Amino acid sequence: MRRAFSSILLLGLSSFATAVFQDEVDDIDFHHSLFGVPQAETTFFHRPRKDDKASLLYTLGDVGVFGAVNPSNGEIVWRHQISTDTTIGGGHFRAPEDEDWVAAAHGSTIQAWNALTGRNSWHANFAGEVKDLEILEVTETGRKDVLALSDEDGVTVLRRLHGKLGTVVWEFREQNKDIPLQVSTNIANIYVISLHGSPSSYSLKITSLDTLTGSRVNDWTVGTKGEVHGPQDVMFVGANSAAPLLAWTDSSLSKLSVHVLGTKGKQEIALGAETTGVVIHAPHLTQSLPHFLVHTKTATGGKGEVYHTNLKNGQISRAYELPHLKGENAFSTSSEGANVYFTRITEDEILITSSESPAVLQRWPLAASSHIKPRHAVSEVIKKPGGEEFAIRSAVTTVSDDWTLVRNGNIDWSRPEGLSGSVGAVWAELPETESLAKALEEEAHTNPLDAYIHRVNRHINDLKYLPAWIQSIPTRLIDSLSGETHRDTSLHRDSFGFNKVIVLATRRGRVYGLSTANAGKVIWSANVFPQPEGQSFELKGLVAKGGESSVVTLQGSKGEVADINAITGEVLRVVTSGSSIESTATIQGENGVWLLALDPSGKPVGEFPNGVVPKETIVVRGEGEVIKGVRFDAGEDGAAAQQTEVWQLQLLPGQRVVEVAVRPSHDPVASIGRVLGDRNVNYKYLNTNTIVVAVLSDDDSVLSIRLVDTVSGQILASQSYDGVDGSKDVSCAISENWYTCSFFGQYLLNDGSGQTIKGYQIISTDLYESSAPNDRGPLGDSANFSSLNPVDSPTQAPLPFVVSQGFVAIQPLTSLSVTQTRQGITGRQVLAYMPESHAVVGIPRQALDPRRPVGRDPTAAEMEAEGLMKYWPSLEIDPRSIVSHERDVIGINNIVAAPAIVESTTLVVAYGVDVFGTRVAPSGVFDILGKGFNKFTLILTVLALFGGVIFLSPMVRRSQINKLWGE
Amino acid sequence: MADSKKALASTPSWVAQLESPLQAKAKPSSIPDPPGFSGGSGNKKGGKDAKDKPRKQPTDEEMDTLKLKKAWEVALAPIKALPMTAIMMYMSGNSLQIFSIMMVFMAFKNPLMGLVNTNQAFERFQNESISGQMIQVKLVYVACQLVALAVGVWKINAMGLLPTTTSDWLMWEAQRNSIDFAATAL
Repeated sequence: MRRAFSSILLLGLSSFATAVFQDEVDDIDFHHSLFGVPQAETTFFHRPRKDDKASLLYTLGDVGVFGAVNPSNGEIVWRHQISTDTTIGGGHFRAPEDEDWVAAAHGSTIQAWNALTGRNSWHANFAGEVKDLEILEVTETGRKDVLALSDEDGVTVLRRLHGKLGTVVWEFREQNKDIPLQVSTNIANIYVISLHGSPSSYSLKITSLDTLTGSRVNDWTVGTKGEVHGPQDVMFVGANSAAPLLAWTDSSLSKLSVHVLGTKGKQEIALGAETTGVVIHAPHLTQSLPHFLVHTKTATGGKGEVYHTNLKNGQISRAYELPHLKGENAFSTSSEGANVYFTRITEDEILITSSESPAVLQRWPLAASSHIKPRHAVSEVIKKPGGEEFAIRSAVTTVSDDWTLVRNGNIDWSRPEGLSGSVGAVWAELPETESLAKALEEEAHTNPLDAYIHRVNRHINDLKYLPAWIQSIPTRLIDSLSGETHRDTSLHRDSFGFNKVIVLATRRGRVYGLSTANAGKVIWSANVFPQPEGQSFELKGLVAKGGESSVVTLQGSKGEVADINAITGEVLRVVTSGSSIESTATIQGENGVWLLALDPSGKPVGEFPNGVVPKETIVVRGEGEVIKGVRFDAGEDGAAAQQTEVWQLQLLPGQRVVEVAVRPSHDPVASIGRVLGDRNVNYKYLNTNTIVVAVLSDDDSVLSIRLVDTVSGQILASQSYDGVDGSKDVSCAISENWYTCSFFGQYLLNDGSGQTIKGYQIISTDLYESSAPNDRGPLGDSANFSSLNPVDSPTQAPLPFVVSQGFVAIQPLTSLSVTQTRQGITGRQVLAYMPESHAVVGIPRQALDPRRPVGRDPTAAEMEAEGLMKYWPSLEIDPRSIVSHERDVIGINNIVAAPAIVESTTLVVAYGVDVFGTRVAPSGVFDILGKGFNKFTLILTVLALFGGVIFLSPMVRRSQINKLWGE
Repeated sequence: MADSKKALASTPSWVAQLESPLQAKAKPSSIPDPPGFSGGSGNKKGGKDAKDKPRKQPTDEEMDTLKLKKAWEVALAPIKALPMTAIMMYMSGNSLQIFSIMMVFMAFKNPLMGLVNTNQAFERFQNESISGQMIQVKLVYVACQLVALAVGVWKINAMGLLPTTTSDWLMWEAQRNSIDFAATAL
């Protein structure tokens, strides 16, 4: 009996490291590698090789990922993160004309990268935040240098950095209280623009510097009459052109003030009455004509006006106007030699004009099916040799946060960049084939006899599908034999349960539906909570209702609630109450689960559905560093529900909660005990009402990991670790009867040498009912328990027996999570993101087993029964256990697992900047025939055997008769 | 005559062979007998002597003693085979293989069959006069079979097939449920 059991275990062990096979890539997994929504000022076409006409498309997205995209197919050439964390907009990204490098800056770092390979050529770090980055195109050496403007606590610093080496050529410092804004160059000078004065009446201060030495040549101020209130109000265009501009509008958007750098004074352009926004487009090259376009947006559409700058006296004059068109409009500038082309992209066509004349040079209609609503775009216009024909390709950022390349009016590719910056994801079940689900439900609610008759009738009814089914057999057989899999991309449940919908909410308030049935493609997206500029949607709760409804409920921090159909993306309900929401709890109600929203003081917001007061103890964060348990009791005769505080976990001063790990919602336990090598049983401590709270005390850097009973608030187990770095990520996960945490700390060796080991540690703790085998602890065989009830034995509280062990990992492991399978029989894996390798790893639980014997080899029985290996302090991460294999997965914040119908497999989605989804089988896919199973050979073998029997049986019969008869 | 000849001709060869079997093959004269070997016909002298003496019929008492002796042999046979079985079982190991499975099967089948067929085993020794002693013999026989069975049980216990430990009954033990519920809003 036990042997059979352990042989199953052994089966699990044999596939201890299940690697992803090459033919499974893109079949079981998918990956959206993203940049974030491209920002207008950091997106451009650039030729990475001087002597090659081919150009790449570069961008720095709003989540801080920059890199190059092949414009012909939309595939990433290279990609890097500008900072270790996800950014919210900002950053600088520039490319020098005809050079093979690009420069990027964020925070205090400036980096230069090879434009073709994405290899780093240099990086520099200075005090203060980089405010602007510009390329010095014309220098005395013929080399191109980088200009970096930084703000070091009120000191404006401009550095010229060597373009090839990153060394400082010269430095300009100015000690004043001005706010540095921009740096620009024209052929003669470098201009530093800063805001001067007080916030109520800023004036623009322009300092011109000598290119060669960085010494001040001149400075002047331009009054703004209180129209500029901060850095965001100043528009600045044409950084390296012959006539760079500064522009700003007044608060009522009635006029636009323009200052041409290098001249004195400003010029005003009157704007229309309905103007809602102004954008200025100008070429970035010194050889381009000094023309610029003012794009005036209105509520219904937009128009463009082209102005020419007279280089001699700095006067601007209106050349022509592009008429007002309805719908979303985007303009972009491209230059070829001295010519400047303005491209206008509307919802139904693309047209290009020269900056010289209003005549439309060429126009391409856009197919109505393309649904492009442009927000901003970059374009590359090429005049075809020997003719008036033009070729154009535009990378358009659309209103729906997609990044689409339109070439001559056709859509070449589209990247769902809006998927980046996701803040929450949930797995939603697909509906079963409708009729069957309904029929089964009907049968479940009638008495057995009726149900039986109904079923028989149903099966007789089903007979009419039999001929069609029989007809389909040959094709299915051939498909099955040839190994061709017709992926069923319809949104219906498959028999393995692999097809599900991932509902993903992003910080831009947009919600996406991805289907695993067709390789993680976006099946719908909806801008459920449109966010104003500069604000992020803060997700507080996201839950799938479950059952047959496939409805997903979202709860935002500002009281926004939405119900969305996960299959169609239909927004069923959006309510914005405006009350601030601190947290939400998932409550199991009568009709599926619902979200209970709580305000910062821990009081429920809104009514309870059907007036049913939740019976659960709700664990909330109190004011300050407190965790408390709250209960609701129904008030008498319709009075409001009473809220009672049941317990409080108060921390000492200087301590803070750095991580709370909650059990996954689906966490079944297959066996309540653990069979040891000697056939004894250690009973698992299975208390579902437990959470892991990691408390860090900043004064002495002690991390205390506590297991807290959520009903009574009792601390059931606690471990302390010294020398933990609080600035680094602490991540925990809890499942079944164990929990695990990873952090960076230093470990004091207990060999008396006083040596410490610094490193990323992962600790693993098992909880058992009792230290003695075959003992169920003080509660014995009682069928249920309450954490609030006293125990008869006065000396023993039902505390778990704790076995804990620590391991040193070679790199940080963040976003810990545990795989979930349908019945919990399959072994578990700890899923983690490795930010230094850009990989998602599944560490087998056996590797993190705290019962691994220390200082001795495990006995054969231990190895067989428990799968124990000898303890080794360093946790080697087997490359085969990296579920993201060679994919470069960036910026993962969270990993969510969900069970499939087959026991062996867990569905996993990791999100953050990128979205990566895969299927993980911790004990191997023992319940599915793999692709390697050769059905053809099997059938051939059976046929050969059958043929052999047919052929041999007369021979055998004859020889038997002959034998009987003698010769 | 002609008819019978015809009939003879029509008889199948096997009838003819049956009716007139082939003569025993004549000894090839070319091969001499080995020294000391006298052919079948030459050995008649000794046989003659034995035949001459008429066999003395054993008395009833002698028969009973003989039967009892034989019965005891039968009764103790299982235990005599036991050391051999035990050694083989020990040698075959505790893993689940075809040999050990077959051995275990035999170790159970033989004693059980023996027990079922106790009366048949001693049927030929049965006699009114020794029926009292036969019961003793049968009891010993049953005891021996039980010992053989015990060896089989010992074997399957060693193989871990007997549900004797807590781990074997684990699946019938229920998980202890909490009567309280909690939800987290963190």
